[in-house]
Amino acid sequence: MEGEELSRRLVGKFPAVVVEPFRETAGRVRFPPEILLDLFREMRDGLGFDHLGQVGAIDWVEEREVFYTLWSDREKQYVFLSTRVPASAPHLESLTPVFSSANWHEREAWELVGIEFDHHPDLRPLLTPTGYEFHPLLRSFQLHEPEGLEVKVRDV
Amino acid sequence: MGRLSAAKPVLTTPAAAPTAEDSPLPMATEPAVPFIEIETLRAREFLPAAKEALGSLLSEQAQGKLIRPMFNWAGRNSLFPLHWGLACCAIEFAAAFGARWDAERFGVVPRSSPRQCDLLIVNGTVTWKVAHKLITLYEQMPEPKWVIAMGNCATGGGPFRTAYSVVPGVDKLVPVDVYIAGCPPRPEALLDGILRLEQLIKERKE
Ligand code: SF4
Repeated sequence: MEGEELSRRLVGKFPAVVVEPFRETAGRVRFPPEILLDLFREMRDGLGFDHLGQVGAIDWVEEREVFYTLWSDREKQYVFLSTRVPASAPHLESLTPVFSSANWHEREAWELVGIEFDHHPDLRPLLTPTGYEFHPLLRSFQLHEPEGLEVKVRDV
Repeated sequence: MGRLSAAKPVLTTPAAAPTAEDSPLPMATEPAVPFIEIETLRAREFLPAAKEALGSLLSEQAQGKLIRPMFNWAGRNSLFPLHWGLACCAIEFAAAFGARWDAERFGVVPRSSPRQCDLLIVNGTVTWKVAHKLITLYEQMPEPKWVIAMGNCATGGGPFRTAYSVVPGVDKLVPVDVYIAGCPPRPEALLDGILRLEQLIKERKE
């Protein structure tokens, strides 16, 4: 599917999306967070992008960007979709009702960049230890020398 | 060994030791040496049991010269590390047991169950997520047991020392006997560490 065709079919249904055509991939789609579930249903059922490859997040200080990669097995094409939420209230609807493979990706994006995915079935830490309180990939996170740890010796 | 109060060793005497009275033939009157049921003994019960069995035969001095060195000799020539790869250092660990370096000639054979191991080679980055599993594996290994921290990551956190997710040195979790520097250490360095550990075991007293 050419970028122009993707643009035509998407913008007709969702006037708020912006499609930037790429030459080799189908394009990059920017969309407002409110239409997330409807847009992805249309991408899957209407346009045939049936595989969600990745969900990631970037901290842009005032905003946080969440991006998705979809793959179409029929067209052999990728499409990249992204949306932005304000850093003061980083809430986004969970994509798990449409693509269940979003489950672990969203857990990772939540614990590392702090995006709150509403209605996620199982929002537990995936990589950080249980009880870890920080979002370590935020720009405000400081690395620090470890402290308060004791070297264990064998009690003979 | 001090904190582990050794359980009472299992000693039995041969069931029907024939005596001079009920035998028609004259027999040499030897003291009945109790034999040790080796299979039922745990490693840490071996020394008290051996001492008790040989106490009547050997002087105190001879026991000190014989039993502990023998125990150490057996232990250091059959170090079984746990087959557990954590990060990139595990590749060098694997190479050390391959055909070229062949750690098996020192009696070092990786085993897949912690119950059969007496050496934990921590070969890679330990994250906080895996830390409690490492402690579980260490505690599942029978005494006496040793730990080698292989590579900069296991020694002190390595390049990830200040990261949010990495334990800065595995000696914060379990006691470590030998540290090997390098990122990654070459298989020769691992073999050198194992030989140094054998030296430590050789010098081990009570
Ligand atoms: S010390 Fe270097 S080679 Fe070894 S696990 Fe760490 S980063 Fe990898």
